[in-house]
Amino acid sequence: MHIIFEDLRYGARMLWKHRLATLVCATALALGIGANTAMFSVAEAFLLHSVPFENPDRIVAMVNVRPQQNIETNPVSPATYLDWQTQAKSFEQLGAYNWDEVNLTGNHEPERIQGFDVTANFFGLLGVQPKMGRTFLPEEEQPGKDQEIILSYGLWERRYASDPNILNKTVKVNGKSFTVVGVMNKGFDFPMPAELWMPMALTVKQRAERTSRWLWVLGRLKPYTPLNQATAEMTAIAQRESEAYPDSYKGWRLRVMPVREFATTDITRQFTLLLMGAVGFVLLIACADVSNVQFARVSGRQKELAVRAAVGASRARLVSQLLTESVLLSLVGCAVGLLFAKWDITLILAHMPADVAKFVAGWKTISLDLNAFVFTLAIALFSGILSGIAPALLTSRTNLSETLKESGRGSSASRARHGLRNALVVAEISLSLVLLVGAGLLVKNFTALLKVNEKYHPESILAMNFILPELRYKAPPSRVYCDEQVLQRLSTLPTVQSAAMVSEVPYANGGGADIKAFSAEGHATRDRGEANTAIVQTVSPNYFVLMQIALREGRELADTDGDGTLPVAVISKSLARRYFPEEKPLGKRLKVGQAADESPWLTIVGIVDDVHYSWINKDDIPTIYRTYRQAPPLYASMVLRTAGDPRALVHNVRSEVGAVDPELSLYSIKPLDEVISDSIVGIAYVAVMMGILGIIALVLASVGVYGVMSYAVGERTQEIGIRMAMGATANDIQRMVLKKGALLTLIGMGIGLPVAFALASALSSLLFGVKVADPVAFIVLPLVLAAVATLACYLPSRRAVRVDPLVALRYE
Amino acid sequence: MEPLIQLRNLEKVVEAGPNKFYLLRRINLAIQPSEFVTIMGPSGAGKSTLLSIIGMLDGAWTGDYYFLGEAVHKLNVKKRNELHKANIGFVFQSYHLIDNLTVFENLEVPLSYKNVPHKERISLVCDALDRFHIVGKKDLFPNQLSGGQQQLVGVARAVILSPKLILADEPTGNLHSAQGDEIMQLFKRLNDAGTTIIQVTHSERNAAYGSRIIQLKDGWVVGDSATAGAHVGAAQPA
Repeated sequence: MHIIFEDLRYGARMLWKHRLATLVCATALALGIGANTAMFSVAEAFLLHSVPFENPDRIVAMVNVRPQQNIETNPVSPATYLDWQTQAKSFEQLGAYNWDEVNLTGNHEPERIQGFDVTANFFGLLGVQPKMGRTFLPEEEQPGKDQEIILSYGLWERRYASDPNILNKTVKVNGKSFTVVGVMNKGFDFPMPAELWMPMALTVKQRAERTSRWLWVLGRLKPYTPLNQATAEMTAIAQRESEAYPDSYKGWRLRVMPVREFATTDITRQFTLLLMGAVGFVLLIACADVSNVQFARVSGRQKELAVRAAVGASRARLVSQLLTESVLLSLVGCAVGLLFAKWDITLILAHMPADVAKFVAGWKTISLDLNAFVFTLAIALFSGILSGIAPALLTSRTNLSETLKESGRGSSASRARHGLRNALVVAEISLSLVLLVGAGLLVKNFTALLKVNEKYHPESILAMNFILPELRYKAPPSRVYCDEQVLQRLSTLPTVQSAAMVSEVPYANGGGADIKAFSAEGHATRDRGEANTAIVQTVSPNYFVLMQIALREGRELADTDGDGTLPVAVISKSLARRYFPEEKPLGKRLKVGQAADESPWLTIVGIVDDVHYSWINKDDIPTIYRTYRQAPPLYASMVLRTAGDPRALVHNVRSEVGAVDPELSLYSIKPLDEVISDSIVGIAYVAVMMGILGIIALVLASVGVYGVMSYAVGERTQEIGIRMAMGATANDIQRMVLKKGALLTLIGMGIGLPVAFALASALSSLLFGVKVADPVAFIVLPLVLAAVATLACYLPSRRAVRVDPLVALRYE
Repeated sequence: MEPLIQLRNLEKVVEAGPNKFYLLRRINLAIQPSEFVTIMGPSGAGKSTLLSIIGMLDGAWTGDYYFLGEAVHKLNVKKRNELHKANIGFVFQSYHLIDNLTVFENLEVPLSYKNVPHKERISLVCDALDRFHIVGKKDLFPNQLSGGQQQLVGVARAVILSPKLILADEPTGNLHSAQGDEIMQLFKRLNDAGTTIIQVTHSERNAAYGSRIIQLKDGWVVGDSATAGAHVGAAQPA
């Protein structure tokens, strides 16, 4: 113990003595450790605390997947769920839910709320209890008896002012009365971002549905039943279903996954892992930097180490002393890194719009907790050992008798040290290049998402959500009348050039698209082996002009398309291409839902350009446009093209809408460019973080190159003096130094480029607007790196040419 | 009496490409406990190399080396280090104190590597400070001491564990004569108290403090006063 204390004391003294080196190393480590801690806190929240309840380990989700269409999580059909309920033996219970965004009306202003229909056992399955009241009863799963509702703590607090007598009161949901039977505990918002829950009452018809997939199924494993056993059982059941109903299951497969994994979207998980990898790279680069500085410092202490060995220190003892110094240094970095991390997390939390955060599982739990502290300590120790082990091992392997001589010089150990230091710089360059390319591609993705929407100038569009009270507007003609009135009034406002209606503006609701199944007349889905799915938008006819969506074939929707005329639809080019590849779509008929459903067949009258409605999807999603006069919705968005600042219109817009009907509900009124930027804020986060990490990596790598070159020049002072005495010019010397730096940089880039290319391949398959061979990422960024590395070599080379041969020849 | 050191046909070779250079050739020596031996010879004769081998700092040689009857040539590095740690103290021409440690801490270093308990360590260091009259310097760093004072600390460090053997490589090489005499008298007193001393020096004056002189030339032992001028090397090139 005393030895450790002594080593620590001596280590502290050495760090203080070499304050500049200590500052550089501690800063490098603090940046690396801080970034890792902050990212760990985020990853912990997303990957480990993604569900707001205790002990989720035994809860699994069972979803359908469709590999050939890259569908990795899809709901299952009710009949499938009911089959599983009767056949599966691995579970204590199975439950299900369905996302059901609802209009909440009543005594308060109408609101659009994220609600879920859940089976009666849903809360019991998750092991959660309400704060007040009860959860659902089994009999409430029956149609007609499903008139109960459970509120989230947030909704109860916000809308009902934490009314302690809320139980048994009636609230209006989609115009129907529901009795409040419970209020959940604070923080429980599963599935994200639930604000209320209603009983799921499957009708007889729904219970028989096998091709409509809209149920998310959860199961609680029986005690001592491992996940793989349950997976094997469920796979066997799914196989039997496929054989019994080949038409319904062709192309679909079952996936059983832990609920934690299920709750975090794939894109969140992928980006989290990408950033974890990036911060890991930064830490490695920081360690390489510190290792290089340690080499330089320890090399200057060779005599001291030799003396220590001569008076009895074993090699292990020397290594342990050097490692103690290195770990001490990393602990300093750790302390500063924790402050960095705290600052990072504050920034991360502060810049996320609440409308987006509520869709991100685990977001609320991001914090610098005890786990993060332990993690930080662990990586600090790891960094200390990693950055110190090579200098300690190589420097302690010294030729004692040679070192202790008056002009003794190491030879083979010294060569090994040079080799390793060069290797560290090569590694730094290659890791930096990978990070820079990754950052470049993410930034490209972000700018591409902004750019794809620029063509319709979202900054001059005011978007808002709009709800008609269901009871008052039960009859479709009344909705059409109201919509017409509102559109007419809004379009006459000063600076408004036109007003249009659409179900969802691009990138609404966090950027995910509400995709529905449709049937194309004469096209059986099984022939193509894929589901017919599309975004269904209900629009006013002038929507295309307002959004500058070009017509490619046929005609747009017209004001004359109405209730008494032929039901029509306009489709996007991608829908025409995918579902009518070898025929003219105009005149063909589509139906939203199944062919057998009662909804009308829609005749295709036009084809328009695609709009990038969902940033989550790399490709454009096929879209069907209907006119609001033939399918008037209760819920929609209004968009106003303005000649001035859209925000200036908010007050007038409210007045005009209120003048049509004071009970009409308007919310989320903001310019469309803000809707878009809010929606892709996650991408912005990733791009900014990758950008910052890339810059840190670049700086650290250049410090590494500078350090190695500077040290090399110092070591070669005598050689430089001899060369100059033999006739070498300043240019010769400078070239000699730059050549070595350039060689290391080139080797580093040669190793980094293939890795960066592999990363780019992976990212390009995920990200919109990203190509594998991106010229900025693969030409400009490597050139930037090369330029910075050259500058880092140039400074020591300037020092080299200032060497005075007379002084240098006396140099030791 | 069993010799403290017995060397038989000890050789040290370095290879440079296809060529071999002998630093030491067929060294046969026996050094008894309490001897004060001086190794002399011109530069490049192999004096320091021989001292390093005797001090077990250098393990790359051939031949037999017995230390207190223990076959050093058969020991692995760990055991050799233990033997060295337990029995040998070094004094260097350049003192080789650790710049970042105070006098007190420099004296403490060999004790810490021998895992001497803290209390005992303090007591041994205080004894040494007292014995070498450097108590007033205990908190100073080496660069705050004169060369003679530094070497005094160097000797104190070498003897703090009461080694059986002190190896001194040009111990007064960097000192002026008065300081050099002081150090040599110190060695003499240590030798009188029973410590074996082997020094390397060019100085006849320093050699006079010892009881035996071994002459080296081109790696060969060419003279040993203990054998009264007898030819101790097996064969010497013409």
